[in-house]
Amino acid sequence: MTRRIPSFFKTALLGAALISAGLAHAASADDGIVVYNAQHESLTKAWVEGFTKQTGIKVTVRNGDDTEMGNQIVQEGSASPADVFLTENSPAMVLVDNAGLFAPVAPATLEQVGSAWRPAHGKWLGIAARSTVFVYNPAKLPASEVPASLLDLAAPAWKGRWAVSPAGADFQAIVAAVLELKGEAVTLDWLKAMKANAAIYRGNSAVLKAVNAGQVDSGVIYHYYSFVDQAKTGENSKDTALHYFKHQDPGAFVSISGGGVLASSKHPEQAQAFLKWITGKDGQAVLKDGNSFEYAVGQNAQSNPKLVPLTQLDAPKVDASRLDSKKAVALMTQAGLL
Amino acid sequence: MNALELNAICKSFGSQRALDNVTLAVPTGSRTVIVGPSGSGKTTLLRMIAGFEFPDSGSLSLNGQILLDSTHEVPAHQRRIGYVPQDGALFPHMSVAANIGFGLATKGPARDERIAELMDSVALDANMATRWPHELSGGQQQRVALARALAQQPRLMLLDEPFSALDTGLRAAMRKMVARLLADAGVTAILVTHDQSEALSFADQLAVMRQGRLVQAGQPLELYQHPRDEQTALFLGEAVLMPAKIKDGWADCDLGPITVNHQGNSEMAQIMLRPEQLQLNIASTGSPGCHGVVTERDFGGNTCTLTVTLLAGKFEPGRSLPVHCAGLLAPPIGSAVQLTTLGRAHVLNN
Amino acid sequence: MGRGGTWVTGFAVLVALLSLLPIGFVIGVSWQVGWEQIQALVLRPRVGELLINTVLLVLLTLPLCILLGTALAWLTERSNLPGRRAWSLLAVAPLAVPAFVHSYAWVSLVPSIHGLPAGVLVSVIAYFPFLYLPVAATLRRLDPAIEDVAQSLGLKPWTVFLRVVVPQLRLAICGGALLVGLHLLAEYGLYAMIRFDTFTTAIFDQFKSTFNGPGANMLAAVLALYCLAMLTAESAARGNARYARVGSGSAREQQVVRLGRPATLLALILQTVTCLLALGVPLITLGKWLIAGGSEVWHWSELLAALQQTLFLGVAGALLTTCAAVPIAWLSIRAPGRLQRVLESCNYITSSLPGIVVALALVTVTIHFARPIYQTTVTVLLAYMLMFIPRALVSLRAGIAQAPVELENIARSLGRSPGRALWLITLRLAAPGAAAGAALVFLAITNELTATLLLAPNGTRTLATGFWAMTSEIDYAAAAPYALLMILLSLPLTGLLYLQSKRTAGR
Repeated sequence: MTRRIPSFFKTALLGAALISAGLAHAASADDGIVVYNAQHESLTKAWVEGFTKQTGIKVTVRNGDDTEMGNQIVQEGSASPADVFLTENSPAMVLVDNAGLFAPVAPATLEQVGSAWRPAHGKWLGIAARSTVFVYNPAKLPASEVPASLLDLAAPAWKGRWAVSPAGADFQAIVAAVLELKGEAVTLDWLKAMKANAAIYRGNSAVLKAVNAGQVDSGVIYHYYSFVDQAKTGENSKDTALHYFKHQDPGAFVSISGGGVLASSKHPEQAQAFLKWITGKDGQAVLKDGNSFEYAVGQNAQSNPKLVPLTQLDAPKVDASRLDSKKAVALMTQAGLL
Repeated sequence: MNALELNAICKSFGSQRALDNVTLAVPTGSRTVIVGPSGSGKTTLLRMIAGFEFPDSGSLSLNGQILLDSTHEVPAHQRRIGYVPQDGALFPHMSVAANIGFGLATKGPARDERIAELMDSVALDANMATRWPHELSGGQQQRVALARALAQQPRLMLLDEPFSALDTGLRAAMRKMVARLLADAGVTAILVTHDQSEALSFADQLAVMRQGRLVQAGQPLELYQHPRDEQTALFLGEAVLMPAKIKDGWADCDLGPITVNHQGNSEMAQIMLRPEQLQLNIASTGSPGCHGVVTERDFGGNTCTLTVTLLAGKFEPGRSLPVHCAGLLAPPIGSAVQLTTLGRAHVLNN
Repeated sequence: MGRGGTWVTGFAVLVALLSLLPIGFVIGVSWQVGWEQIQALVLRPRVGELLINTVLLVLLTLPLCILLGTALAWLTERSNLPGRRAWSLLAVAPLAVPAFVHSYAWVSLVPSIHGLPAGVLVSVIAYFPFLYLPVAATLRRLDPAIEDVAQSLGLKPWTVFLRVVVPQLRLAICGGALLVGLHLLAEYGLYAMIRFDTFTTAIFDQFKSTFNGPGANMLAAVLALYCLAMLTAESAARGNARYARVGSGSAREQQVVRLGRPATLLALILQTVTCLLALGVPLITLGKWLIAGGSEVWHWSELLAALQQTLFLGVAGALLTTCAAVPIAWLSIRAPGRLQRVLESCNYITSSLPGIVVALALVTVTIHFARPIYQTTVTVLLAYMLMFIPRALVSLRAGIAQAPVELENIARSLGRSPGRALWLITLRLAAPGAAAGAALVFLAITNELTATLLLAPNGTRTLATGFWAMTSEIDYAAAAPYALLMILLSLPLTGLLYLQSKRTAGR
């Protein structure tokens, strides 16, 4: 029976409580807006720097992936710390929109973007676009043998000859497009064939690098990975070539990167200002002049001249607001890709 | 006058009875030794006196001040009771001087002087002051611990098996030094040990504990000669135990008739002799005493312990007895010998 | 135990209850999802694939780690190998390189490396020191008399090793193997980079697609079961052997085996090859990328911000974890008993769960029930605490054991009040242990990736997550400064780990 007063433990407890309180305070004391960013970090960083420089509004960025953050916002609901949500692909925007969590985009902002790049209801809008592309290593796969359609890759002849990154939102958007264009049965069969045929990598950059190194003949990625690498050293793309499927093939799918302001935002004016800025002249100019190589979607905005113009891609007509990421992920899980 | 008085102390750990109604008085200036096998509760009793443990019931007073009863208790740090545990338990992060000075209230030169004095009194070289505990031998550590406890001029000194970790040779010297120190300082002391020879040599008063109970207390010689029961008899040293028939101050046993310290009559009693009460002679016909043969010999230098098997016996013929004799005079195995008894046998009350 | 004990016990119970959160989460989610959906999500070929991958990884990596760790430990502790001290330091040094940096080095050296063989290779290289350390420490403190006796009974040296030494190493090997096994299950970065799918990488993929969707949660449940199975297997393998008190070891020198010339040569080759693979490859690739990247990759403002945040999280996490470990450590020394054992095993089980499981649990729990701390530093620190508390506990317990209660008692008998006695004696003596424990937690936090990725507050970027963001974009040159800073941060602490293992064994 030791009868001592453990003053030390009380002190320790008090100290721990003080530390936690201090931290909680520090975490909530941040000013400015919070952007949940699933876009490439470097692109959003360029946008944020330009915006903060012009407006003085501080922006805190949380990085993640499209559907991860989409689902996160849905779970956070009306208490989400996010003010703005930016994605690489539209399915995650649909996910949040279906939960009714977006505030309408300011009309002036909507008008800055061509109507093809935003849903009619105006709850979110396109901020950039990217095209599906077939990348191949001409030394292993002659140009004459490239497939005519994305769906041809399901053929047994392609076993082990193409690569994808199924865990990424990019490819999941492509799957959502296939689903929208061809229906569930065709999509599932195609995915199952892919599980058997394709080499699985993590990230489009990894796919590009593997094709360049000749580890695999070809891959399905978005166009800008190649252009970004070319603009740097080209060490991961110099031995590759790009093939655009065109002809409104699912493989010619052009994906819209979305942006929206959350209804729960505590700084709606600043958030709307941010969205307006990135879809406006200066923000879209970042796409043209920067090293993101994504397509600009603003009215009269130019994309980087090195890119194949959007009008020549002959993309299939897909209603971005109908792309179903949940179903796509479920089918991929069913096919054993996730 | 008594320095410490323990009254009806009881303590249980769960269902285990650690101390069972212990009552003991420790005279001022005395050296009381509590002896008992391990698990007998002696250390618990010591820690209770120090104030590290608290009894379930009972009371405790020192020099007339009540340290503990059912209404209040004096905490350990206000008791001024010195404590020296088995391994010394020096503070490992303090030098020898800092250890010794830990309990001193004085500061500055007076403090250093007192530390030097204490070191001198326990025969520690002055240059040891800056050493660390792990650099000391066991004996040195023990002396530092002693000096540390003495520094605060304790009203009572508690020593828990202080010599058990030391080499045999060192032990006796330490024991003498501690006894002298305590006498010089005039401090009442209680020492706990499981070693009976240490207990007998160190004690003014001896208290035997067993299974949480205080079995017997008194002067060492008294307890050695007149233990209350068989267990106590054996615990305090080698003993010859025999059945006997007691009548009019005589016991009739396998050794023949011998005198006892008991006046009653009994058909069936147990008597005890210490081996040194048996005297051995080389047998010659017709001489008095009990005849036997040496069957084992344990030569131990200046003494030799022989096992003598008796030729006849009233209760158990062929009984073997331990007998001590001077090492140089010990007869070889097979020698016919005679045993005679010195002094009286003690009748155990069972 | 009185009032003091009640306080301490109460706090220890609180920590243990917190540590039950992840397990509670797994059970709760399974309940919510329902049997039908569990069947659909768990009993599918993909889960089988992951199970096979993970089991094969463990079955192949563990024996190799045990062999390599034991061989190196024997050579540095018991043979006359030239340069033993240097080799022994070099065998611990790979710990300073985070596992995913090992993987990064190999991927840049051999771009085509992938799958199970790559997973086994990099795992062995990254984790064998976890076996080397305890085995070497045990070899150092074995009582040489036992081996002498065995030899005197006519056993040949090799037989002595197998029949006398190896059984005494069982505890060290079991403990080390469990640590490696749990790392194999929990690691994300290493396997993601070399394209080898384990449960953890699959959970991460699911998380990226669905946030904390049922797919991710059910995989986490299966992974948690797997970890518990591993704990059980270890405790069965350990049998009745208990961790011997690391106390006054034998003062006698261990006998050293003289290696013949060919054996010395072989041993030197083994040491050199291990060292080249475990240290050479990461350092050379890192150097290569640093030179290739030049000064351009040193974005100082970002690097310094990441360093600052890493240091902040590391220091705060280490403090919190160490404070949280104090009550249970104190109980385990001063009042051991059934309650204390139960509390301690709560902490232990949770810390064996992968970071991704703990993080998923905390995301879900804070988002639904503890909004004020959702996405705050508090939650990240809480995750660190749950994951790393045993590291603090072990050192802290050793520290408190340095201060037996008897010393405090004596201080009291010398006139010091209980509070003063605690301060002057126990806390002074336990301080080095607490510091060492805090340092180990700090080391773990600086290299932590998964929980930080999931839980960090908005705008947080640590060295590990910064490194990960760069490598995800295959910008290996830009990732190199992050890796270098992580290694530099880890080096002194790895040294500390090395010294600590020497000391606990030496005295």
